[in-house]
Amino acid sequence: MTTYANQCAIVGVGESERSRNSGTTPLHLALDAARNALRDAGLEARDLDGIMNYSTGGDSCTSHELATYLGSRPKYVKDISGGGSSTELLIADAVALIEAGELETVLIYRAMNGASGHQVGRGYDPDLLQGMLPGGSFVMPYGSASPSQWFGMFAMRHMHETGTTKEHLGHVCVSFYEHAQRNPKAFLHGKPLDMETYLATPDISTPFNIHDCCVELDEANALIVTSAGNAKNCKSRPVYIMGMAPRHTHSHAHYWTQVDEVASDHAAPALYQSAGVKPEDIDVAAIYDCFSWVVLRQLEAYGFAKRGEAGDFVKDGNLKMGGRLPSNTAGGMLSEGYTHGMNNVLELVRQLRHDYKGTDRQVKDCELGICTGWSGPDLAGAMILRN
Amino acid sequence: MTQATKYEKPVPLKTLDNHPYWDAADRHELALQKCSDCKGYIHPPGPSCPSCGSPATEWENLGSDISATVYSYITSYRPFLPGFQHDLPTVITVAALDVAPEVKIMANIIGCPAEEVEIGMPLKMTWTDITPDRALPQWTPSRSQN
Ligand SMILES: [Zn+2]
Repeated sequence: MTTYANQCAIVGVGESERSRNSGTTPLHLALDAARNALRDAGLEARDLDGIMNYSTGGDSCTSHELATYLGSRPKYVKDISGGGSSTELLIADAVALIEAGELETVLIYRAMNGASGHQVGRGYDPDLLQGMLPGGSFVMPYGSASPSQWFGMFAMRHMHETGTTKEHLGHVCVSFYEHAQRNPKAFLHGKPLDMETYLATPDISTPFNIHDCCVELDEANALIVTSAGNAKNCKSRPVYIMGMAPRHTHSHAHYWTQVDEVASDHAAPALYQSAGVKPEDIDVAAIYDCFSWVVLRQLEAYGFAKRGEAGDFVKDGNLKMGGRLPSNTAGGMLSEGYTHGMNNVLELVRQLRHDYKGTDRQVKDCELGICTGWSGPDLAGAMILRN
Repeated sequence: MTQATKYEKPVPLKTLDNHPYWDAADRHELALQKCSDCKGYIHPPGPSCPSCGSPATEWENLGSDISATVYSYITSYRPFLPGFQHDLPTVITVAALDVAPEVKIMANIIGCPAEEVEIGMPLKMTWTDITPDRALPQWTPSRSQN
């Protein structure tokens, strides 16, 4: 079994430009992100001996392509199919391979034309998707093809049982949009959101309106993992991997037959056991936020609020700067950008390095951070990082 | 044969594991897969029992008088698949069967204004003939509702 115990660290993070229409390919975006991560770490392309990436429906370039044009000659490349929680999964794999002595330094990336290329839940061939999706024949004929509809089914039951309201969802959005106003690179920088506007916005699919949904963009992110020993020689301040729950599962692949359970419920205890810390020890968070409600449900799963109390936890300002758990401080996927979670990891690393010290974006003196990944109610991973 | 009316929505795909369910639906009946060992229902149908892993499964015909309760639902105001642009808003529910509440069957709720749908609402199964040889199980409010 892998013992994380700070034996590896994230030593470099980088991203490409983000836009609605990159005018270029995922390979170009990936190269920009990878070069920025290498520069951040003070490493050369030749220092990478492993490259991994995740993609959905062939929306990225391969690790081999990236390696080729980066001028790197890795001995290990891996391309997996996956969305949310793939970042955590691949970091766990990298740590295991580094600990096994197989690899030294691994670059992990996510590159996508998420706005100008094909989009999740849109533009798929319905018959193809019926075959691809577990139990798709029981879902697609009824018009359910979007994650907003799949996750909405969980949200509506949870809100009914706990008394969580639309306004509670709105507080998640308002909190993260507020963070985006401090981040000039956030896609919705300059576009703050107030509760009145939020509540006046019509739903796309209950309980979600446009603000409850992530901003789909063209962009690439990359990060570099190496051993704690190597990390000391890097340019950046290392952020250590304290514990992980790589990727846990819901009890059924056809997860919408059981809407009271999410995979995060299973990832959470494993995560805290792995890291040897408790929720109250955490200073800063990156909570997967493809939809607002997903944040509330994870706050409950990961022990930051009791069942039914996450809405009030957020309403009380706890995800904002100065709150109990400043979260998604770059704006999150709701307002910064959307790379199936990796952009939130990049921000968490920068917070733990105190990159924003002396500005109002820095979570003061933060030492421990949690990052949660959510592929859906079906798959979830998470990690705890420290400086 | 050619289709008499143009049906734009996805037609349920019959597969190795699920075809008895859809064959029964075409006859306006509900058939559920059941584990021959632990006796639990298996829905959606699969190659073995997700509760105990047993590969021994059988099918039970529950007939055409099927009642259930709304467990959760969503209302979509945009079409996410072809054909649904004519049917907005679309209400999709997961309904718990009254005889076996652990079995949740997803379908639309038809014959009911979207704003009247609520969790706990009683439903009965109805079948819509979508092509000359295929029928789609749907939920509709049960008549006994006050
Ligand atoms: Zn069984």
